[in-house]
Amino acid sequence: MEYLIHLGILFAIYSILGLSLNLVVGFTGLLSISHAAFYGIGAYTTAIILTKTGLGFFTSLILGIIIVLIISFLIGLVLSKFKGDYYALGSIGFNVIVLSVLLNWQDLTAGPLGIAGVSRPEILGIDFSNKFYFLILILIFLLIFYLISLFITKSPFGKILKAIREDDGAIQIFGYNILYFKLVIFIVSAVMAAIAGSFFASFVTFIEPSSFAVSESIFILVVSILGGLASLRGSILGALFLVLLPEILRLIGFPVDIAGQMRQVIYGIILILLMLYRPQGLIGEYKI
Amino acid sequence: MDIIPQIIINSLVAGAIYALISLGFNLIYGATKFFNLAHGIVVVIGGYSILCFVKFLGLNIYLGVVISVIISGILGYCLDRFVYLPLKRKKASNMVLLVASLGIFTALQGIISIIFSSQFQSLSENSEQVVFSFFNGFITETQIIILISLVLIGLGLILLLHKTQFGREVRAINDDEEVAKIIGIHTNKIIGRVFFIGSAIAGYAGILVGYDTGLEPTMGLSLLLKGVIASIIGGVGSIYGGILGAFLLGFVENFGILKISGGWKDAIAFGLLIIFLIFRPRGIINK
Repeated sequence: MEYLIHLGILFAIYSILGLSLNLVVGFTGLLSISHAAFYGIGAYTTAIILTKTGLGFFTSLILGIIIVLIISFLIGLVLSKFKGDYYALGSIGFNVIVLSVLLNWQDLTAGPLGIAGVSRPEILGIDFSNKFYFLILILIFLLIFYLISLFITKSPFGKILKAIREDDGAIQIFGYNILYFKLVIFIVSAVMAAIAGSFFASFVTFIEPSSFAVSESIFILVVSILGGLASLRGSILGALFLVLLPEILRLIGFPVDIAGQMRQVIYGIILILLMLYRPQGLIGEYKI
Repeated sequence: MDIIPQIIINSLVAGAIYALISLGFNLIYGATKFFNLAHGIVVVIGGYSILCFVKFLGLNIYLGVVISVIISGILGYCLDRFVYLPLKRKKASNMVLLVASLGIFTALQGIISIIFSSQFQSLSENSEQVVFSFFNGFITETQIIILISLVLIGLGLILLLHKTQFGREVRAINDDEEVAKIIGIHTNKIIGRVFFIGSAIAGYAGILVGYDTGLEPTMGLSLLLKGVIASIIGGVGSIYGGILGAFLLGFVENFGILKISGGWKDAIAFGLLIIFLIFRPRGIINK
């Protein structure tokens, strides 16, 4: 039971990540491979605040949001000028730069050693070190983000995002400033990732830079694409499948010591097969 | 100022490695017009093949190099034949090809770590390599081979592209694949060969990296990105631009870490890329 709750929390975290990335990749058609950077900034903000100051989890959550707002604004400002494969490449670049900062700003982040002993939140007398309460809390957040994303994609704003995806030249002729739209959705998505990161840090209690490398961004991309691009339900489905996959592997008896690498192999193969046979994902609407 | 000669040597060696990777990358980009990210894992596979043949199986080193280079080339050819070509036939967008190449990269990197473990492995047996000294700097035998290799491969490639029938056909495809097809060039066959040559060069670069610094399954991403950055800041698709960009990158990286720690190298490289993407997206050599 304990373990099921553990999986449930992971599922919720990856659902938030997949969902938020889908807003950028699926709905706006911008191939961003930098999501782990914002996820990491959120996680590190929470970890640093909880271990080095007396402030609580929610203060760290809000601080993480503010930091990511600023950073994603700056990164988004640059990225929004690009499209297509240059956008993808630029976003990988920002992921590498953020990772370098986590690795090299040793005074603040402890470098490759990572930060241990992050505590679980406690609000209004409810102690969320109880995993079940933690699960409920993060599921509530997932629901809120799902509804926000649904609202965004159904709104006129979301329609313009889709128009940018289909033909950014045409929508520009109608007088829309596409740079602004690309920037806003990028920031919204980054903030959601940061919140997922805060929860992740407080849940696993130990974080290190390698959890936020480009490979993690690729993994989040697999969550979004597998479930379905431009489908919010798809991202939930993708997260569910990819969180359960290691368990399925273990059940059919894959040796544990190569489990990590085996998972990587399978993610890679999933990406190749999806591109070859179903580029829109399982229940997606949009083909990149 | 004593360390300046050493930094210049380091910059040249790093630049030469990036240039070798960008040569193959640019060759493939020129013909296909998409970012083949799997190029980075071909570099790694070149390095690990030589580890397998020479260190584990005890093969003669020259024979080992030849076999490893051919394996890398065949791998590149197969990727085109079984992944990229079918995608192209389906009229897939560049982004689909890029994501597929990302998938190949991830999957092969996992396979390498399963077979060879994710530990760092050294290729050179004798730690006391022959070292030559220039002014105040030192350069190893391997590093001299790296520099010579770049000159030879670079010249060879330029001759191949400009003096042979094959080269003319490749350049025709670079200009316009549809037109090339119309005038009777078997474009898919030529592109397959381009993949073979580009990947073989990448595999050779991997061997050199293995002897120079050692091997790690995860080294592919960093090397690939350096090659790509070199290509973009030089002018993507252009062989000369790639070499120019590679040396610029090598120098900026190595002089950049004069004052700060070496861990920032990757950040410096991407900083350079982003500056170029904003102010000169077509690279130094404008088309």
